Amino acid sequence: MSRRTRLAVVPARRIMIGRALALCAVAVVLAIVLVLLGLPLGMVCGLVLKSTFGTVFGLENLALYMTPLLMTGAAVWLALRAGLWNIGAEGQFLAGATAAAAVGLFAPLPAPVALPVAMLASLVAGGAWSAVPAAGRAWLGVSEIITTLLLNFIATYLVYYLVTGPWADHVTDAQVSSQRMMLALPSVYSVVHWGGPVALALVVALGALLKRSRFGYELSLCGSNPDSARYAGIRVAPRLFTALVASGALAGLGGMMEVLGTVHRLQGGLAHGYGYLGIVVALLARQSAYALIPAAFLMAVILNTGIVLQTLQVSASSVLAITGLLVFAVAVSDELAAYVRLETKS
Amino acid sequence: MTAFLPLVLHALAYGSILALAAQGEVIAERAGVINLGVEGLMALGAVMAVLAADASLSPWLGCLAALITGSAGALVLGLATVNGSANQTLCGVALTFLGLGLSAVLGHAVAGLPVSAIFGSWSVPGLSRLPGIGPVFIQSPFVYLAFIILPITCHCLLFRTRLGLSLRAVGENPAAADAVGIPVRRYRLWAVVTGGALAGLAGADMTLSVMPVWSEGMIAGRGWIAVALVIFCGYRPVFAAASALLFGLVMSLSFFGQAQGWPIAPAVLNMTPYLGTIMFMILPALVLPGMRRLMAAPAALGIPYFREER
Repeated sequence: MSRRTRLAVVPARRIMIGRALALCAVAVVLAIVLVLLGLPLGMVCGLVLKSTFGTVFGLENLALYMTPLLMTGAAVWLALRAGLWNIGAEGQFLAGATAAAAVGLFAPLPAPVALPVAMLASLVAGGAWSAVPAAGRAWLGVSEIITTLLLNFIATYLVYYLVTGPWADHVTDAQVSSQRMMLALPSVYSVVHWGGPVALALVVALGALLKRSRFGYELSLCGSNPDSARYAGIRVAPRLFTALVASGALAGLGGMMEVLGTVHRLQGGLAHGYGYLGIVVALLARQSAYALIPAAFLMAVILNTGIVLQTLQVSASSVLAITGLLVFAVAVSDELAAYVRLETKS
Repeated sequence: MTAFLPLVLHALAYGSILALAAQGEVIAERAGVINLGVEGLMALGAVMAVLAADASLSPWLGCLAALITGSAGALVLGLATVNGSANQTLCGVALTFLGLGLSAVLGHAVAGLPVSAIFGSWSVPGLSRLPGIGPVFIQSPFVYLAFIILPITCHCLLFRTRLGLSLRAVGENPAAADAVGIPVRRYRLWAVVTGGALAGLAGADMTLSVMPVWSEGMIAGRGWIAVALVIFCGYRPVFAAASALLFGLVMSLSFFGQAQGWPIAPAVLNMTPYLGTIMFMILPALVLPGMRRLMAAPAALGIPYFREER
């Protein structure tokens, strides 16, 4: 006789095997869809590989995609450690970008002064953008999922309003865009800017903070079992608030890197879904902050794949569909990995 | 009065979208499953309604396609979260991504084109000829469904039948429900599928009646607002319809304001539904903490049921 039982703690190896299978399943579904759309599979695969890894341009693109993904991923991950779902990284990203753009456009400061100011402004703006949902969740128990998400739409409208109204570009005829800013993050290599290394350092620091500090321990405790945290004398609400505001600040900083490092203008489609993809990055990373790095890399590859598909006349939103499929497959495989066959002696 | 008539008509039309989706979500959440994929299901329903209506030249078949799409999407979610006990938040968000992305891909060819077959208005005999308020009684079938038929049906189903009692028991205390012989997973699965069907229908309401054209991003967070409404209305179908009307009013304010040339930037007016939703989620909790017990979520909402852990 054998029957299945569910493990309370799942070994990482089982999770990884499950996820590898999930990834394969997504790839198979994708291949079937491509065939149904009438695209030659081999050609598409070759094109994706070549344009992602085979060219300098592709590699630069990967680095540029990874930077915001690391930041929004870290943001969602931090909130998740406290048991909170920050679905609003997109809005916080835009808020941070807007604040940084305000500094870049209107503050007549030399770059060494202006960059830290812009950084600070984006941190504050991102944090402020998540403060209301954070307070609502921490003290009133209002679902942060919905409030953070709805603020994304407000941020989108805000940016749209600014770049078509008061901050619109009147010099060149760029639509839905501000002027090109002089203020920029210094570059590491050609178009790749210092945002990437900073993001990497931040992720590592975040991992150390959560693992080694008292704050990190208390935060994880609040996330995994708020009741026992309360019993241990930890005041849960302020910690939840801090976690979500810090999460917003991280996403905001990501926005600053994007606007001052990559795009150099405040634009309508600036956030590019990075906030939502951050959820996927955080999900793939699970408990480890360091795992955010390979997760962000995988998402960057998927984003690049989307660009290739777009050149083949598939809608740009196919990336969103692939992402959804991936999250779904991973969520299911993570659960199924918890089931083991129990051998019972008859 | 006549000046505000367009506002009311708008509110009814836009409110019906929210009402359909929100009441579907009430059913799912009463059974203990939170479906965060409403936004994606609405998008899929909307685009499938357009495709089917264009192909068959019948809005009814468009409607049917949306219903089937919504149910199928929700079935996938239900199988994953109810039978597979996967994380409901994650799967819901994934379904939203998938729905939004897939609908954009599917609707690529018809984006921006007028839908060839849409629902006309049905008038209530007698009432529609009333002076002044007559036009209120000339509405698309979705409005009658969302504000009259569905609230009554859902309310009676949930609170007046044994089926509804079992459904609520599954959402409040699945172990107890299981003990008296109610098939917990089957109830939950069907509740999610019903909710998904209504979300798909809400999408059809958009493209076959309210704004008869498919464009990417046209759902614009309405699915999320519907999910928020469910909390706001305390998981009651009649209140859900009423608060949907309220939010329909908030949404139409932005159109109305722009049409009337109010001295408010259009962007700000566009933000009002979202700001309003956030306000309505936070204010009741802030001002009326005593209400929280009355409006509380089903006790087992979002928690998968394992018989072994009983």
